[in-house]
Formats: sequence, C-alpha cells, structure tokens
Amino acid sequence: MKLEILNKIIQKKSSSQNFALLTNLTNGNSEIFEFGKLLSIDFENYKKQIENYHSLKKNGVIDGTQIFIQNFTKPIEVIIVGAVHIAQYLVDLFENLNFVITIVDPRKFFITDERFPNVKIINDWPEEIFKKLETDSNNALITLTHDPKIDDPALKHALKNKFFYIGALGSKKTHTKRCQRLKESGFTEEEIASIHGPIGIKLGGKSGPEIALSIVSQLVLESNKLLLNSQK
Amino acid sequence: MKKQIKRTILEQARDWFESDRKVILARVIQTWGSSPCPVGSNMIVNDKGEFFGSVSGGCVESNVIEECLDLLKNNNSFKQLEFKVSDDNAWNVGLACGGEIKIYIEKINS
Repeated sequence: MKLEILNKIIQKKSSSQNFALLTNLTNGNSEIFEFGKLLSIDFENYKKQIENYHSLKKNGVIDGTQIFIQNFTKPIEVIIVGAVHIAQYLVDLFENLNFVITIVDPRKFFITDERFPNVKIINDWPEEIFKKLETDSNNALITLTHDPKIDDPALKHALKNKFFYIGALGSKKTHTKRCQRLKESGFTEEEIASIHGPIGIKLGGKSGPEIALSIVSQLVLESNKLLLNSQK
Repeated sequence: MKKQIKRTILEQARDWFESDRKVILARVIQTWGSSPCPVGSNMIVNDKGEFFGSVSGGCVESNVIEECLDLLKNNNSFKQLEFKVSDDNAWNVGLACGGEIKIYIEKINS
C-alpha cells in the first residue's frame, strides 16, 4: 500500500467521514472509496457490489471477487449533559471505542478544560446548544444532572430527533417524575419508554466508575443492535 | 495536565515509515468459524520485528511477524496467509478456537 493512501485514511478518520479502503488482492493495488467517487480500472467493474457492502458497513472479500473492502464509519456522536464526576469516567471508558463525545453544562464551575482535557465541551444551556448542533438518529444522549431545568430540554430534543439511544441518570422515583413531566409535554408512552431510565445495564455497582461502565455497556449494546438491524 | 492521546495503529505505521523503518501492514480479510479478531483487524510489523495491533488473540501473531520479515527479505510487496485450526501436535501455530482466518500482508511503500 502506498504511504499516500495510509495518510489519506488517517486524515479522513480524524474528519469523521464514511469511506472504505479497497484492495485488489490479485495485484495489491489499493484505493479509497466514497459514494460518488470514480473508481480506477482495478475496481470499476465491481462498483455495484462495493456500494452494497459499503452501505451495509460490511467488511470482507466481496463474494465472487478478489476485492477486499474495509469500511471506516464515522463515530457515533454522544452528547453528555452534565459535566459531573461520572462524565469524567465516561470520557475514559469511551476512549478506545468508536464514539465522539460532546459535554454540555450551563454551570461554568463544572465544565472546565482541566476537568475535561481532549474532549469537546460547551458551557451553555442544552436548549441553546441544540439550536446550533446538527443532530439526527445516529446521535446518543446521556443526561447526568437529574435537574429538570438542564436535562429535560435535552431529553425533549433527543426524543423529537429520534436519537437511537437516550439514557437518563436518576433513581426510579426521579425517573417516574421525569416521565410524568414528559407526558404532560405531549410525548407518547412509547416515546417515553424509549428512554433508558434509570440509565445503564444492571451491574450492581454504585461507585462512579461502575455506573459509567454500566452506561457505556448499554450504549455499546444498543449501537451494536443498530448495526445488526441495518445489515438485515 | 493534558493526557497523551493514544496512537492508532495506522498513525504508528506512518511514524515508523517516517523514521525510515520498513513497515508491513497485516489485515484479517476473511474468517470462518469462531475467530478471535473480526475482519478488518490489523497489525503492523517493522523490519526490527517490532509489532503493534493484533490479528488474532495471540495465536498466530508470531507466525505473521515471521512472514512479514520474510516478505521484506524476499523483496515482495504482498502475500496472503491462511491459518487453520491447530492439530493435536501441541505447540504448532494455529487457532485453538477452531476457526480459520485469512490474513493479507503488504509492504507500505512511497
């Protein structure tokens, strides 16, 4: 493989684009594939199959060919509301997984570069932030403040925009009250039931790192379900 | 204090290349049965025999490294390797898990 292609992959990965690396196993030639891009003579005859594998995010040697396709998919964007202690553990746990994190908190003393190095942080109210952020069903939301003023607007935005994962920290009692408020705001039972609350899979732990682990586990589980469903 | 961000396998490959090491990229291209690393997993090897990343759960790495060094020695640019379930003669290189994998190794060149 040419160094040039290696460099392109590194650069494209950091700009969070969907693309694939194609390799012709008979002659060793490789190139980058993106939708709409013209293919060279090594690959052009297999355009249809390549597009099919790429849209299904399937890696492998394409059936009946000697073309290997390796997909690079853009990471899932996770918005964390609440720059609290658990958020710091979440950042650590997400580090080796294919997620990009944005932390949001209107409380200035919580949301500092010292507490969150190497992560995108936004010091504002979720309501204001979501006016500017582009989000869709590939987003995930984790709310950690259990303060309705801060969490609720974010939850409402995520429900309306059909985030594939929405999780809200808080006890069963807090969550029941939360559900009641959302119902009063006009959300359906089904929509409200899609919120993972209390957040996380049951690991039985109560410490910050354990709660963070249970949240990350749940999000990984849901994102893998999403991928499997899209490949059906 | 800023935390050091981990290098990815491909970034490490570039770093090695830029410091005049010869670099081989090994990728899992096909698997059958149970195999420890999914298709697309990769590992890099340099001419000093240093490696980073993985293509199995430790079962075939040593063999892949040898193959990579041979590729350099013979001045070839790519090769496909196949590993099957290990037989009863213990200590043979193979996949104890009963899987099969195909690995594609290739030299990074300018």
